[in-house]
Amino acid sequence: MSVVTRTNLASAPSRPRISAHTRRQWTWGFLFLLPWIIGFFAFQLLPILFTFFLSFTDYTGAAEFKLGNFNFVGLQNYKSLFVELDALPSMGVTLKFALIGIPLGLVVPLMLAVLVNSRRLLFSNLFRTLFYLPSVIPVVAGAIIFNGVMNAQSGWLNLLLKAIGIAEPPRWFTDPTWAGFALNLLVVWGLGNSMIILLAGLQGVPTELYEAATVDGAGPITKFFYITVPMISPVIFYNLTIGVILAFQFFVPALLIGTFNGNPQGSLLFFPTVFYREGFVYSKMGYASVLAMVIFVVTMAATGLLFFFGQRLVYYASGETS
Amino acid sequence: MRTVLFKFLSVLILISLALAACGPAATSAPAATSAPAATSAPAATSAPAATSVPAATSAPAATEAPTAVPSPTIPPPVQTGGEGCDPGATQITWYIGLGAGSNADVIPLETAWAEKYNKSQKEACVLLNIVYNDGGGGNSYNALRALIAGGNAPDIVGPVGKNGRASFQGAYADVAELAEAAGFDLSKYDPKLLDFTKDEGVLVGLPFALFPSFIFYNEALFDEAQLPYPPHKLGEQYDGKAWNLETLSELAMKLTVDANGNDATSPDFDPTKVTQFGFYDQWTDARGVASLFGGGIPYDEATGKAVISDSYKEAFKWYYEGVWTKHFMPNADYYNSDQFNKGNVFPSGNLAMARVHTWYTCCFDNSKMSWDIAVMPEINGQITAKLHGDTFAILKDSKHQDVAFKVLADMVVDPELAVIYGGMPAVEADRPAFFAAKDKAAAPNVIDWTVAAEMLNYPDLPNHEAWLPNLAEANSLLGAFRTTMDSTPDLDLDAEIAKLEADLQAAYDSAP
Repeated sequence: MSVVTRTNLASAPSRPRISAHTRRQWTWGFLFLLPWIIGFFAFQLLPILFTFFLSFTDYTGAAEFKLGNFNFVGLQNYKSLFVELDALPSMGVTLKFALIGIPLGLVVPLMLAVLVNSRRLLFSNLFRTLFYLPSVIPVVAGAIIFNGVMNAQSGWLNLLLKAIGIAEPPRWFTDPTWAGFALNLLVVWGLGNSMIILLAGLQGVPTELYEAATVDGAGPITKFFYITVPMISPVIFYNLTIGVILAFQFFVPALLIGTFNGNPQGSLLFFPTVFYREGFVYSKMGYASVLAMVIFVVTMAATGLLFFFGQRLVYYASGETS
Repeated sequence: MRTVLFKFLSVLILISLALAACGPAATSAPAATSAPAATSAPAATSAPAATSVPAATSAPAATEAPTAVPSPTIPPPVQTGGEGCDPGATQITWYIGLGAGSNADVIPLETAWAEKYNKSQKEACVLLNIVYNDGGGGNSYNALRALIAGGNAPDIVGPVGKNGRASFQGAYADVAELAEAAGFDLSKYDPKLLDFTKDEGVLVGLPFALFPSFIFYNEALFDEAQLPYPPHKLGEQYDGKAWNLETLSELAMKLTVDANGNDATSPDFDPTKVTQFGFYDQWTDARGVASLFGGGIPYDEATGKAVISDSYKEAFKWYYEGVWTKHFMPNADYYNSDQFNKGNVFPSGNLAMARVHTWYTCCFDNSKMSWDIAVMPEINGQITAKLHGDTFAILKDSKHQDVAFKVLADMVVDPELAVIYGGMPAVEADRPAFFAAKDKAAAPNVIDWTVAAEMLNYPDLPNHEAWLPNLAEANSLLGAFRTTMDSTPDLDLDAEIAKLEADLQAAYDSAP
């Protein structure tokens, strides 16, 4: 018996001894992380849990939040999701916006980044600044500017279209056919951040690869698709992920331009707008919490799917896939 | 020394991290997130009934109207610390932000009033909490929700109209009970006025300020067109014709001009290049538009059904025709344009007549424009001047309701407050001082305020802001309906009206 025990002890993997120095580093690391952890719990995780709790109540916000001022209604608020007029159509508006906006949000900044990265472009720093500039303008100000720029009567965009012979240019924010697309244009206008991130990616591609490809006779298009795109695919994937998340949360410009009714005719009624309206205009905190949970789940699912399928298409020079 | 420095830096970094963790998540990329702040018209007040007049409700803020032009910056809240209070006085918090009263120009007046009031008695100490009302039901409304939910409800809120109160339905104390407990005699008020201040049968305040509507007109545009001004007295004719809807429409068409100088009565008129409009029903929703043709609400209390009455339908058809066929009213593209001042059309100088309430004097330079006011025309044999009314309310969660009632009772009869908020005092004797202050602001214009007093006698009954089941949602539908009329040519109006009726019914059915 004692032999067996001795053998087992001998074969047991010996735990690496943690040095006092390492332990001290961990302690300090944890201490430095602690404020963030506390902030995360207090201001992010707790509100999420609280929202989940609220989704089972009929709390209206008209009285202090305490027992007796609200009732538990079970899954009633979740059932309302399929009964209320605007919830599902507004998800359609959000999806439609995402389907146009996400590809635009990838392609346009990539094109701009390639442009301002080109050695042949004169005054490239000036262009980088100009393309980035809209990103530093507050969203509210941007929405106001765009509302004016795209006004069907006095906006300079339509004045320009009329000047080049289009007699009846789109009524951007009053025609439901065009309103969603007009908002996509507003988003494209503010894509400077994505451009800068892609530009950083482009500048990190080793020049030897291009030189080798040139020796092999590759043209610019071939180099772009076989060298540039794969090499910056992690950056593209990052932009795609952020783009998807923001697309599902998009609503401030829509709220400013289309009010909380999503004018014209509900074409700007995004899902988060419905959430905002139900909670903070109609005071249906319980139902609004359900909508918030839906946004959370859909965004998480979309991000999860992206990581599951998208990561396979991403090239990591280090060989890691995640 | 190095250890101390290291610890100091560590603490500094920890604090920075804590602040970063508590702040909003920084995201880059396209879209954006941030506070809304959608507004349309400035949050004016509103109010109802006149003494002998009936009524319904009232409320402030312009409804949905123009496509919102928000303020990119929201001023911080203003709080006072009880200057001039007696040490033994009960602290009463007065929350301002659900209607008028949060603009920078009136805040000094409000704080001065509170200080003066605090010095005038020893029972109450009024503390102000003024939160900017962005007009879109966002900033100040959310702040009040947070205060209530956190158990820090203010005692008094206001001035607030019917729509503002609807956002906090059920949050207000019954003032009738407080009045009875305080031995306050409510019988001195006209019962109709008291009814006007009730929400779902609960008296939520005492009558305070009234805002009748009428026609604001730009004298310069009439002079330019060499047309006489519209009537200031009921029964007067306009240019030899009865002052009715047909005359108003015809006049408005003559005052609507395109870029080539043709007016809307001309066959050469180009509706795609209008530079000046004749009439605009400014800052109101579909119910407000309908009130031109008489009072009424889209709800049958007896059956609980949504009902779009014939007068509503008639008003909508007249309105829609005015926008898209006769072109004397601006469509959404026009009124949101720079040329027409992005929704606040009258001060653009390119609008001849606007139907708005007394509170509208808040929203343009009264002395810069050459303007006056005219009476409403007769429509289908009746004259209707829609009415707004404001009050102050006490929250149920107030811990000092009795003292709050005493303050409230003092506030509603204070002539200084009526002037601050631009509302005609409910007490007739206080009105001359009110109009004198208005005249001073409008000089050198001499405004015929008898029009306003006269229009008080023709309120819309039931009021266009009267209670409906699920009011906030119903108002939203009615606001959207007007925007649809404003922004959609070739609309099948009958089908849209039927859809509105069905949607309203669904909203009523889902009332909490």
